[in-house]
Amino acid sequence: MFNKVLIANRGEIAVRIIRACRELGMQTVAVFSEADRQALHVRYADEAYLLGPAPSRDSYLRAEKIIDIAKKCRAGAIHPGYGFLAERADFAEACHEAGLVFIGPKPSSIAAMGDKAIARATVARAGVSVVPGTEGEGSLGDEELLALSEEIGFPLLIKATAGGGGKGMREVTNIEEMPALLHAARREAEASFGEGNVYLEKLVVGARHIEIQILADTHGNVIHLGERECSLQRRHQKLLEESPSPFVGDDEDMRQRMGEVAVRAAQSIGYLNAGTIEFLVDKNKNFFFLEMNTRLQVEHPVTEFVTGVDIVKEQIRISRGRQMRYSQEDITMNGWAIECRINAEDPYNNFLPSTGVISHSLLPTGPGVRVDTGIYPGFTISPYYDSLISKLIVWGETRAEAVLRMRRALEEYKIVGVRTNIPFHQSLMDSMRFMTGHFDTRFVEERFSIEAAEEGKVSYPDIAAIMATLVAHQQTQRAAHIIQRGDRDTSNWKWISRWERLRR
Amino acid sequence: MKYITTIDEREFQIEIVDDHKVIIDGTAYAVDFDTVSNQPVFSLLVDGRSYESYIYPGEEGWQVFLFGTLYLATVEDERERRLRAASGGNVVERGEYFLKAPMPGLVISIPVSEGQQIEQGDVLVILESMKMQNELKSPRAGTISRLRVAPGDNVEQRQTLLSVI
Repeated sequence: MFNKVLIANRGEIAVRIIRACRELGMQTVAVFSEADRQALHVRYADEAYLLGPAPSRDSYLRAEKIIDIAKKCRAGAIHPGYGFLAERADFAEACHEAGLVFIGPKPSSIAAMGDKAIARATVARAGVSVVPGTEGEGSLGDEELLALSEEIGFPLLIKATAGGGGKGMREVTNIEEMPALLHAARREAEASFGEGNVYLEKLVVGARHIEIQILADTHGNVIHLGERECSLQRRHQKLLEESPSPFVGDDEDMRQRMGEVAVRAAQSIGYLNAGTIEFLVDKNKNFFFLEMNTRLQVEHPVTEFVTGVDIVKEQIRISRGRQMRYSQEDITMNGWAIECRINAEDPYNNFLPSTGVISHSLLPTGPGVRVDTGIYPGFTISPYYDSLISKLIVWGETRAEAVLRMRRALEEYKIVGVRTNIPFHQSLMDSMRFMTGHFDTRFVEERFSIEAAEEGKVSYPDIAAIMATLVAHQQTQRAAHIIQRGDRDTSNWKWISRWERLRR
Repeated sequence: MKYITTIDEREFQIEIVDDHKVIIDGTAYAVDFDTVSNQPVFSLLVDGRSYESYIYPGEEGWQVFLFGTLYLATVEDERERRLRAASGGNVVERGEYFLKAPMPGLVISIPVSEGQQIEQGDVLVILESMKMQNELKSPRAGTISRLRVAPGDNVEQRQTLLSVI
């Protein structure tokens, strides 16, 4: 049985896993890229080894090197976190072959769920409904798609196989307009991705994205930890998650049905360890299997807050061959938790990523607040990895208390050095739709704008004016002071002109 | 020192009398203004009420973040205001626009070529950073005058990518 865990990841999730290991009295090994020498996971771990240059393919994706390091430092297990190697069946397999425990599911489960067609077929056989469509069926011709469209039913979506970002996507309401739209979708897909393959999917109107957390141990126990609401997304990236879902709410029957279906889907592939079944839920509360994530999720803390289960510790316990500490009867959801993903992105400038040195950071604290982050003042946010720099999670007895607490915490949270999407979350917290829980997966992109949300809010233009003026005033005085000194070797005019040219 | 500060087309006449006194539109307030820990976080006490904000210099004036709201403020002193009035008030867009990389990254593609006519909002460069592809658009119409980078180049923050005349 292992006592030392190598964490094959970086950032907040590496820190999160190290914390669980430490609390379990286990030794921790960090791996890092040249850009992460000063990262928190390196500082917190008992041992740390360099992987290579900053780009992921030269560092965090080097499976062989990571396994080598694990063997050399006599780590017994590897926790992959999320992203990077977490859902690579070949990596999990290589770990087993090297005599290392992979803290996650069996390689066969990762492979089965990683292939859309196999995943859909497998869970469908277990009696779980899937969103009707042709994804994963290979490339079909127009004739075949037209024939299948009647079966799927309208409205439906044409989506590009190589797709993303809505390119090559068309909404179809009847069979008559289908041929023209197919043609347009293929042309756009061809132009954007170099291949024109498309598939059909039933359009779920007013869809919500709700997922169920699963835990399964080697003793045959499979339990679910309730649901998470993940409908608030932008470009298919989740921005905010909560548990429970306001859409499921008091409907205990629906929660249990979703949970049972998720457990059945997990059992159908002999799933082990932590995993998540994602569902698309329509407005009549019908739910369809979307996909299974065979790893720890970014948003796992909201479930931890309401159930009291430490999911990472449970993962380690399961990997050590122990029995889970909980049975389904032990799991109750208490209160409400919300997570805001804090990204280094400028919400006022088309969510462009922002890089730089964190010069100052003040964390929100106090009752019911948790922050999972890998950054601290002095740390550099580099362009090599994704923009998630922190997760702010709050708990409240009720959803209303959680929302108010999140507002309070967002106002307290100060990050200086890079732009963050904190103002976006603040606007979201103030929006009527969010407060009342009336939103679907299209809400952020189609019906929410930070500028519009700011209209009608109590505003303080006079205070802002005073502050801007005071800052401008200070700057003018400082500039005047510099110009007066005149101790540069060339004239100030020349110096300014050179400086301006440099900035071009 | 007297300033005219504009937010959302609303003008405020602001006189900074000394470090602890500000007159805004004829009303005097006792203020206490300080930077917190590090710029650009500022704390302001106005007649005992406490406010905290981030203030950044922007392209046209100052960006003030206050209680989760962004205010764009232009601050002019009386001399600047007179100068602008004398020049007719409307500054014509002229000269070259230099597109600079807003962050370090990898140039994925440049869908325009030198000499090409472009409209405002046209995509000039697609830059990948933090695993996302970002479209950099032209703020105005014009002609592409010079490409200084090519697809596949790694660029630094604020590096000039191309210019528009």
